[in-house]
Formats: sequence, C-alpha cells, structure tokens
Amino acid sequence: MEEMAASQENDSEMDCSDNEDCYDYNDYYNDEDSDVEHIDLLKIDPEYFEYKCLSEEEIERLLNETVEDLSNRLRISLSLAKVLLHSHYWNSNEVIVKYEENPQQTLISSRIDPPVPPRNIIFTPTHMTCPVCVTLHHVDRFFYLSCAHMFCKDCWTMHFEVQVNQGISTAISCMARDCVVLAPEDFVLKHLQHKTSIREKYQHFTFQDYVKSHPELRFCPGPNCSVIVHSNEIKAKRVVCDQCKTIFCFRCGCDYHAPTDCQVIKKWLTKCADDSETANYISAHTKDCPKCHICIEKNGGCNHMQCYNCKHDFCWMCLGDWKSHGSEYYECSRYRENPNIAHESVHAQAREALKKYLHYYERWENHSKSLKLEEQTLGKLRARINEKVMSGLGTWIDWQYLFTAANLLAKCRYTLQYTYPFAYYMDAGPRKELFEYQQAQLEAEIENLSWKIERAETTDRGDLENQMDIAEKRRTTLLKDFLDV
Amino acid sequence: MANIAAQRIKREFKEVIKSEEVAKCAIKLELVDNNYTELKGEIAGPPDTPYEGGNFVLEIKVPETYPFNPPKVRFITKIWHPNISSVTGAICLDILKDQWAAAMTLRTVLLSLQALLSAAEPDDPQDAVVARQYKENLDMFKLTARHWTNAYAGGPSVNSECDDKIKRLVDMGIEEHQARVALSSYNWDLERATEQLFS
Ligand SMILES: [Zn+2]
Ligand SMILES: [Zn+2]
Ligand SMILES: [Zn+2]
Ligand SMILES: [Zn+2]
Ligand SMILES: [Zn+2]
Ligand SMILES: [Zn+2]
Repeated sequence: MEEMAASQENDSEMDCSDNEDCYDYNDYYNDEDSDVEHIDLLKIDPEYFEYKCLSEEEIERLLNETVEDLSNRLRISLSLAKVLLHSHYWNSNEVIVKYEENPQQTLISSRIDPPVPPRNIIFTPTHMTCPVCVTLHHVDRFFYLSCAHMFCKDCWTMHFEVQVNQGISTAISCMARDCVVLAPEDFVLKHLQHKTSIREKYQHFTFQDYVKSHPELRFCPGPNCSVIVHSNEIKAKRVVCDQCKTIFCFRCGCDYHAPTDCQVIKKWLTKCADDSETANYISAHTKDCPKCHICIEKNGGCNHMQCYNCKHDFCWMCLGDWKSHGSEYYECSRYRENPNIAHESVHAQAREALKKYLHYYERWENHSKSLKLEEQTLGKLRARINEKVMSGLGTWIDWQYLFTAANLLAKCRYTLQYTYPFAYYMDAGPRKELFEYQQAQLEAEIENLSWKIERAETTDRGDLENQMDIAEKRRTTLLKDFLDV
Repeated sequence: MANIAAQRIKREFKEVIKSEEVAKCAIKLELVDNNYTELKGEIAGPPDTPYEGGNFVLEIKVPETYPFNPPKVRFITKIWHPNISSVTGAICLDILKDQWAAAMTLRTVLLSLQALLSAAEPDDPQDAVVARQYKENLDMFKLTARHWTNAYAGGPSVNSECDDKIKRLVDMGIEEHQARVALSSYNWDLERATEQLFS
C-alpha cells in the first residue's frame, strides 16, 4: 500500500534517474505567499527564500518598467531616468524624494548636469574647429551634452568606440578636460547608429552594469549561464538556478555558505588560500588502521571506516574508536582550546593558532572531499540499480528513495562543511558550546546516513528513511538557531 | 584613426613651440620620428623644489587611438619622486590613466607633470620606497631628491657627504647607480646600504 502511494506521488518524476536535482526543495516555495504563510514557512525551513530565475529579456522588461515609471512620475526623459536610477542603485523612491526636493542638485550629483551651468551658446560662425580632431567643420556637425562642450560627430563616435572597446559603458563621460558629465544612453546610441557590433557591445555592457548596480538582481555564477535571479529580499539565502542548477548565495553570488555569513566565508576562503601550503600535508587519501596498522584508502564519503583486514571500526578524522562516536556526545568535531594559552610563549601561541586552524580546516576540507566521493558513489549506485531494473528487480520508482536519500545526504554534508568556518571564527562561550554540540549531532547523523547509503541495497528502506528524517531535522535545527540573515 | 592622431600631434607640437612656457624654457617638445608617433619632452624642475635647476627628459609615445586614449609617458631621466618609479620612470598620474580627456593636449600633460614635481601625492605612490621616505622623513627625502637631480638632471651640487659615501661603495666595486639606489633607500646609512648590497 505504502509503495503504491509513493509511486503515484512520484509519477511526475519518472525520469529522475538522469536528473540529479529531482529532490527539489524549492518547488513548493515558488507560489506567491502571503506574509502569514511566509513566517510559517520560515519556521519550518530557515532557508526559505522567495526568488525568481529570469531571462535577460525578462530583466530588461523589468528594468524598463522601472525606468518608464520614474520617467512618468518625474516627467523626465527615459534616458535621464535611467541614469538617475543607475546612480541610485535602482531605488526609485530615493530618486523621487531627492528630485522633488532639489532637482538641480540631483542632476548634478548624478553627473547629468555640470556643477556650473554652461554659458549660453551663441553660434556666430558657420564653421568651427573641433578641439579633438582639430578640423574645421560646419556647425551642423557639432553635438554636445548638458555641459555644452562641443565636439564633432565623428569624434563623439570615435570616443564611444574606444571606450566601449575598453569595456566602459555607463561611465563614459564628456571629452572636455575636467568635465564629469556622463553621456546618456540615447546620446551614445545615436552616435553608434552605423556601428552595429559596437552598439551591441555597448548595450551588453550597460545591461551588465545595470544588473550589477541593482541590489535585487544577481547574475547566476554558473558557467555560460545567462539567468538572472530576482528577489525582493537582499539576504544571504540559498538560490538554485532553474537552468544550470548552480547553488549560490543570493547576497554575494558565491557558493552558498550557511550558517556562515558572507564576510566570514570570504575571510575563511582567503585564509585557506593563503595557508594552502601548510594545510597540504593533511590532504592524504590514505591512513593506517589504528589497530592493525594496515594502509586504508578512503574511497567513499563516509567517515565511519571499517578496516578490511581486522574489521576494526574507526573514525577517519580522529582515528578514534567509532563506538565512542555513537549516540552520545561527538567529541571529534570540537576543538579543545588550551585554557592556559594566554600565559604561554608567543611561539607556543602561534603553534596553538595553527593547530586550531588546522583542526577546522581539516574537517572543512574532508567534508568537501566526502561530497565529491559521495557523488561517485551515487553514480555507481545508479549503474547498479539500472542493472536491477533491467533484470526485472523492481522499477526505477521502487528505487527512487535511494536517490532522494543521496541528495539529502549531499545537502546535509554541505551545510556541515560550512559549519566549520562558522565555528572557527566564533568566540568561546555558551553559544559556541551549543553550536558545537549541534554540529556534533549533525556530524554523527550524517555519518550514519552515509554508512547506510553506501550499503543501500542491504539496508532496510524504513530504517534509511528514518535516518534521513533525523539528519534533516538536525540540519534545520542548527540553521534555525544559528542562521542569521 | 591614426590620421586624427597625426593631425593632432602636428597641431599640438606647434602649440607647444609657440607657448610662453617654451619661451621661459619651462617645457620643451621634440619630434623623434616623422610619423608623429614618438616625441621627446623636457620639463624644467620647478623653483623651490628639490628638482630646481634640473632638466627632466620624457619619452612620449602616441597610441594609434590618440587623442581618445592618453599618450604613454615615462621619465627617461632618473628621478627620486613618490609618484615616479626610480627604476623604470613609470608615472602614476590620473590624467595619464582614467582621467584623460580627448580635449587635453601634450602641453597639458607636460604642465601637469611639472605640477606633479611641485606637489607629490605620497598616498597614491608609484615607488613605495620613495613614498615611505617622503612620509617618514621629509628632510631626508628632499636631500635625496636634490642629490638625484644633481646626479642625473644637471642640477646644482649640494651635499658632498652623499658623494663621498657613493665613492666609498664604488671603491668596493659597486656600480655607481646601484650604490646610489642602496644609499637612497636606506636614508644614506652607509652600513645598512653595504649590508644590503653584499647580502
Ligand atoms: Zn572632431
Ligand atoms: Zn563636457
Ligand atoms: Zn544558472
Ligand atoms: Zn553570501
Ligand atoms: Zn585494521
Ligand atoms: Zn572522530
């Protein structure tokens, strides 16, 4: 009966075998929710985040709507509205308040108007010399921005071409000395009328600039992916790209890093890069069994090792007996600081600092490797299940729960990996103790889950599903208590 | 585009030749080749600065995209200045980078460089060693800059003590310029300069 219900539920995901992300946690968030529901969802899932993956065309439409709206409200040209929005990080309200209070000053500070109004232009001659190309032209050929600095048409075109070829677009200014006035989009485009490829480049660069200056938009960092994510909340939350499935932090655009925040993870990654030499020695793939000393290679993600020779169960990280890593307190993840370190010599303190860093780094690095190894395990699992299905041992749907479990494991281990930089930078105290307690709990349940998945075909399904439930609960509990965004 | 560049340089060359600064011998401009792609500039060290009395030669290369891109300028004459590399002569000056405007000319550049000699900007350094000396020991910096002006730019001789120290190192087999750099970098501390040279 239970199997039947499960298979109906999964009917729409028949082709999951070749889709790694079929266990999509975000599916049910995508509807528009009221505030009440929103709060409830956050209680259930601390990583809950409302966002949309949009195409360049959709973003262009969105930006144009903002521009049009501002242009109508302030009765200014579209091009001007665009410059104002870009220089105010697309905050329409701020532009409106500022503009209504002092339009002149707003135009000056946005570099649309010059700080000092230009003298009246009186065209007495019919011809004049362009100061850039030093050629005599008819006055018809001259153009100028709000600053009234006149240059010939060809020079403007050349100026824009050179700037665009250097990747400059929204920041192109007038050609006069010490003039800060920016060339608005319509002015540039008019002068690039016959330069199709330059015009396209220009439009590409301005679009990039607009998206980057818009706090509610983020380019998907996935390779060759053109998706742009939009969210009204500018928070360090988890985003999964609809197109390329890249997972990243909305606020900083880097790899997702909860519970660590954007600044801390940056600091940590810089530190790891700087100290990579020191940390290299620990990247070994083999260790000796602590009991019979035979060389053991780690070829799966699980840290619960069993010696193939003496069958001793031990922990890959600390080489301690696995039994002590059981249900009670999991000492392995916690770093015990020397309480008397303040009285030790500078040399001893430096050694202690390195030891502390290596403790966290080792675990961080190990989980990252385990994630990769478990991905390989999943591949092998897929092949084995395929064989079973081919020889009539159940259907893909029957084995679906194993992929769900593997995806959940990856998600849990990922969070666990990012708990180590968080703990490293945490001040000692009861909060850190609570954190490390929860981290240890999560660590233990994840290793249990990993152990069971590696032996999936012989593990009882109910047992595995129970373990999945426990692991995910530990993960959300930790995030609920410590994810502060 | 190269056409505009040549046209402009021709015009600018005339402008400089006729300028009052040339009349006062403050700046100079010479053509190096006939296609206006390379010029030689010269500026006089401004009065009341350690560069007074010296003449500083500049290499000016005109890019094909001139005047939409700035000319490439560096000091040929060795100079001790926070914003100019004492090794390569490379210059850190905004108008030669992103603050360049197509309406600026070589005359503007030469006058701006002269102004740079009068007012260094040690917070935006090109040469970190010089900039540090400038900030930490201004008198030592002035002495060193004056010494370099004398040694390389034809400025007046000022401090024979510096010359003596250089001679001592030269007698030990050190090349003269190398000796000057070491002494200048170590605030004319002969012992530390020697130590660095022989380490
Ligand atoms: Zn022109
Ligand atoms: Zn202007
Ligand atoms: Zn993507
Ligand atoms: Zn972030
Ligand atoms: Zn063993
Ligand atoms: Zn352990």
